[in-house]
Amino acid sequence: MSTHQPERAWFLLLDVWGSIQRFNKESEKRFGLSLVQWCLLRRLIDMPFASAQSLAAEVGVHPSTMTQTIKRLEKKRFVFVGEDPKDSRKKMISITRLGKETLETASKHMRSGMAGWSSFGEDIHQLGEAFQR
Amino acid sequence: MILESLSFTKTLYAFDFDGTLSRIVKVPSEAKIGRLTLQLLQQLAGLAPVAVVSGRSLKDLKQRIICRPAYLVGNHGLEGLGVSPGVYSRAQESCDLWKAKLSGVEFGSGVEIEDKEFSLAIHYRLSRNKREVKLRIKEALESLEPLPRLITGKSVVNVLPVGAPHKGLAVLEIAKKLGTRSVLYVGDDDTDEDVFSLPDPGIMTVRVGKKASSQARYYLERQSEINELLKRLIQYHRPQTKPQRQL
Repeated sequence: MSTHQPERAWFLLLDVWGSIQRFNKESEKRFGLSLVQWCLLRRLIDMPFASAQSLAAEVGVHPSTMTQTIKRLEKKRFVFVGEDPKDSRKKMISITRLGKETLETASKHMRSGMAGWSSFGEDIHQLGEAFQR
Repeated sequence: MILESLSFTKTLYAFDFDGTLSRIVKVPSEAKIGRLTLQLLQQLAGLAPVAVVSGRSLKDLKQRIICRPAYLVGNHGLEGLGVSPGVYSRAQESCDLWKAKLSGVEFGSGVEIEDKEFSLAIHYRLSRNKREVKLRIKEALESLEPLPRLITGKSVVNVLPVGAPHKGLAVLEIAKKLGTRSVLYVGDDDTDEDVFSLPDPGIMTVRVGKKASSQARYYLERQSEINELLKRLIQYHRPQTKPQRQL
């Protein structure tokens, strides 16, 4: 990244972005799970009765974003949304058996797909440095 | 469905004994776990980590739970988890002092003081005038030295050393030792509120009998439903047999 650094950095960024988008699209098509949804189900399996708020905090997204993602997962019957018996304003989220099985199948594909991203490692590091200059 | 999701991760299934695994009886020494409940508990213990956390002494509990779950914890969390010897001796000393003081008190008929070595339980289920007897017990307990922690239950007042481990701490410790990610705890009494009120979102709490003031999140209508709950948990841990109904 010695010459035309800004241009190269942008191209690299677009390359990474495109790669993630393609991967996301393929996962949606094959398993009905986007990357965000996959991450959420992975977290949910160890939080069998999480509130939407605690889940949002765990995954690191805004609660409103979480609500939309959960709605989509509920529609696909990957999660079950119930009322919190102690506070009817809150929702409790649980992963369903279908969600768990889909997660297991998708995880194999995700892991092998993500293995290819390791080549971005050094480039992304250089990209970060270029942007800081 | 919430129950089923517990089987997808490493979950500890923990139960109180009296009023949960066994029916409440007039004479506490006559309480016993039903044959089917014991069989189901044994089956579940073969599939997932199981613990029984009781207010009874560990010796007493071992005679009643003849199958061996991962953990049997007695005296509300004081026995069965390797508490330091100092805690035991302090609890025993306090207990001896309380017994000596209470032995001279006339509570009336139907009151029995159960000595559990590290704590006391004053039962008054057989008393005819429960309200009056309860007041008399409370009055007597107010004068005890060192001051105990009191937990009232179903026709019983539990007299415990202040600062000793309680059921909540016991459940957390078992979960930590076993490396479980979530816990299902079922109890029926005020001593179980120490577990029900834990702020840990990984603990699913179930009370036997609905009570508005309880911190438990879910409840069973009655003790006889414990077998149905155990059966479902076993089914969920055996995915080849589909449960008939979803909770």
